[in-house]
Amino acid sequence: MRCERERIRNFCIIAHVDHGKSTLADRLLERTGTISPREMTEQVLDSMPLEREKGVTIKASAVRMLYTAPDGKEYVLNLVDTPGHVDFSYEVSRALVACEGAILVVDASQGVEAQTIANLYKALDHHLVIVPVVNKIDLPNARPQEVAAELVDLFGFSPDEIIFASARDGRGVDEILDAIIKRIPPPRAPVEPTLRALVFDSHYDSFRGVVAYVRVFDGVLSRSEELLAMCSMASFEPMEVGTFTPAMSPVSELCAGQIGYVATGLKSVRECSVGDTITSARRPAREPLPGYQPAKPMVFAGIYPVRPEDYPLLRDSLEKLRLNDAAIVCEPESSQALGFGFRCGFLGLFHMEIVQERLEREYGVEIITTAPNVELEVLTRRGELVRTNSPAELPPEGEIEEIREPWALVTIVTPAEHVGSVMELLASRRGVSKNMEYLDPQRVMLTYEMPLSEVIIDLHDALKSRTRGYGSMDYSLLGYQPADLVRLDILVHEERVDALSMVVHRDDAYRRGAAVVEKLKELIPRQLFPVAVQAAIGKRVIARATVKALRKNVTAKCYGGDITRKRKLLERQKEGKKRLKQIGHVSVPQEAFLAILRTEE
Amino acid sequence: MKDQGQCVGLYIHIPFCRRRCLYCDFTSFSGHRRWWQRYLQVLLQEIRELSPLRPCTLYVGGGTPTVWPAAYLEELIKAARAAGLGEGAEATVEANPGTVGPRKLALLRQSGYNRLSLGVQSTKDENLRLLGRLHTAQQAHCALAQARAAGFANINIDIIYGLPGQSLAAFREDLERALEWEPEHLSAYCLSLEPGTPLAEMVRKGLLPEPDPDLAADMYCLAEELLASAGYEHYELSNWARPGFACRHNLLYWRCEPYVGLGVSAYSFIDGKRFARTADLASYVRLPVAQRIAFSESIDGALAMFEAAMLGLRLVQGLSREAFAARFGVDPVALYAEAFSWAAGEGLLEVDESRVRFTQKGRLLSNEVFARMLPDRAG
Repeated sequence: MRCERERIRNFCIIAHVDHGKSTLADRLLERTGTISPREMTEQVLDSMPLEREKGVTIKASAVRMLYTAPDGKEYVLNLVDTPGHVDFSYEVSRALVACEGAILVVDASQGVEAQTIANLYKALDHHLVIVPVVNKIDLPNARPQEVAAELVDLFGFSPDEIIFASARDGRGVDEILDAIIKRIPPPRAPVEPTLRALVFDSHYDSFRGVVAYVRVFDGVLSRSEELLAMCSMASFEPMEVGTFTPAMSPVSELCAGQIGYVATGLKSVRECSVGDTITSARRPAREPLPGYQPAKPMVFAGIYPVRPEDYPLLRDSLEKLRLNDAAIVCEPESSQALGFGFRCGFLGLFHMEIVQERLEREYGVEIITTAPNVELEVLTRRGELVRTNSPAELPPEGEIEEIREPWALVTIVTPAEHVGSVMELLASRRGVSKNMEYLDPQRVMLTYEMPLSEVIIDLHDALKSRTRGYGSMDYSLLGYQPADLVRLDILVHEERVDALSMVVHRDDAYRRGAAVVEKLKELIPRQLFPVAVQAAIGKRVIARATVKALRKNVTAKCYGGDITRKRKLLERQKEGKKRLKQIGHVSVPQEAFLAILRTEE
Repeated sequence: MKDQGQCVGLYIHIPFCRRRCLYCDFTSFSGHRRWWQRYLQVLLQEIRELSPLRPCTLYVGGGTPTVWPAAYLEELIKAARAAGLGEGAEATVEANPGTVGPRKLALLRQSGYNRLSLGVQSTKDENLRLLGRLHTAQQAHCALAQARAAGFANINIDIIYGLPGQSLAAFREDLERALEWEPEHLSAYCLSLEPGTPLAEMVRKGLLPEPDPDLAADMYCLAEELLASAGYEHYELSNWARPGFACRHNLLYWRCEPYVGLGVSAYSFIDGKRFARTADLASYVRLPVAQRIAFSESIDGALAMFEAAMLGLRLVQGLSREAFAARFGVDPVALYAEAFSWAAGEGLLEVDESRVRFTQKGRLLSNEVFARMLPDRAG
């Protein structure tokens, strides 16, 4: 294994979703002979079936290529993949820290999009060298010169550093390889002799335990040495050290500047989490590498099994998912209406949907998810600052001095013809306009600040539908700001239904409350007494409906054979009653809650 | 008479109709004339084989027994007499007003039937059309007068309420007119939309308005009021009678007394066993007796107590604590302590020293109470 730093290049590809990142990666693998065209299944890097299906990369992964440059020298090129969906955009940072350079791919027909901008700025923050590429020049509607001009105007690239390429037909790929060698610097020199390797990703493997994806900055990562994860303080004997070619191929050691993996044998990704520094257990480094903020969940929701007996299955399935996905957080939670379940945190709504889908599809658990919400800060009258991610746990209104919600900086790129409609959308989501800039006469970049809760619900979909699919967005967290939020409770016969509580903006409370009350009224079976269904803020009822009392449940005829039939009918009624959830004195079928939660989505 | 064997109620099912009503999900066939003779012969054979059981009431129901010639029905009662049915015993035949005339009614009365149950259903033609009845209100009125002339002194009429679109006022008119006809007995049944029937389909498709259960409850209360003031005793949830005219045959069901049901899909209850004959007409006439039984269950222990209590409570006078205790060795109030105290608290049930009975509210919500009385593992 060569340890010549001068012959190593670590880079990633950053792009807006669908601008051809994966296709370009495939071409590079092919051109370097890492994978023969015969072996090439499309988009090698997206190894999870769900990723292929959704057409986006969910987990970063890495691949090592050997490339003989025109000058005859052989180089090691490590390509670190980056996730493509907005929800995972902050995860791009994990890939960036492992690299010295980035290829910025822009679609020659679409031009610069929101994620192009967001990802570029992140790369620049990490002092990466950028190789700008205008891709898909083979498309009939390609306008490579205009897009190149955008790159020059917006980001100050010089026209001659822009490469025109088509990852599909292979044009420009050699130039890109050349630029990787010539423009991207080799890894920096080690600053100390002891091992320091940054974990930038990981996955769980039932044979090898947690497999940490590492970039070695200092020292040598050897298979034969006991290692230590500096943050979790977990020590382990590595089971295997290797590189991705792109399959995992064992090597005896990884030296400074290299990218590869170490199979730790550890049982939980939390023991060797992303951002941690791996060092020698016997001669640990004094300081860990400057890590970066680990994945922080932004969206929270309760996940419950539809059938209570599936709780153990749900628990085990979540545990297995978390082995692989450190970004999911979950805590046991119980609800009067839905039974035992978990309150889980996700990176975004898309991430949540993926987890829901995997639970149902891969693990066969039928689940119900409560309305998603963000984490709030509550300043109590006694001066305490409480963080809560569950509406049911919000302190009573009387104890609250101030509620603060997270805000996000949202960047949107839209065709100019839709800008009015988009601004209207953003205003309706409590957005505050910060900047508006024409990228070219046809396209506008909008910068807004708005509450994260308004972003996570379905802003991305709403934007797509208002721009006929042409709008793009990206967001990053800004911090907390006071908000006029209230907890909207749903009461059935004076009892609060915990699973239906939600935190909403005060102006929106009446509409949301009335909608739930009306729907619930239709779903609660009539009881022997009238049942009030109310929406309330604190003690103040803002919407109300009544389920009339049941007056008649009688069998008209009861002769000979009717007696057996009637008894069977009663047995069914009794069986049905067993499945009802008790909200105080009122029996409500679980299906009612499910229906409400489904419409809320 | 002891040596003549155990006394049972005898029910005979005639599963033929001129045509099916739109709300009916009973076992009945329209046409099928070619089966009549064979079916009659099987029934007569079964009556002859009743011994050692002895019929003490006779009820010929359907279907529409009166689609048959009077002579067939006469053969049935003759066979029942031969099997031990006493001269003074209650012998009911059901009749559709569209299938009887003065002659047939006279023949039926002469052959020994002393109680006529007339399927009037409504005194308004629009309701009869909605239900798909083959007679008019006028025909029903005539049939009743003809039955009187034929010598029937014990006549029941059936009334259906809770029809799609029926108002409380319309039901009052319907019932008041029925009372003008002065039947000895009146059964009022709330329409139940049985899945698969044409009427249920029409409601499901939105061609007819969905019946309002609250309005049906109002109709029931109105029936209780009107019938009481007309001198009828309310003796079972859906049945009213002039004093002395309660249906003895039906009371056997509600008192858990034994009965034998002959004919397709008819149920019997003897020696703690309930069993049903097959609903398939072809098998019924072809197969030997033993293979005509399609279903059977033992009614014992907790189940027997439950049925006795449920049926007893369906009687308006309620359940006799003493009689129940004498039969099962336990006071029903202790046995169903939880259900009864809940029901009493909800105003559904009245419990005193000797009886447990429903209130008016309880009569309308009786299934709520029964469901709470069900033994945990039935059967």
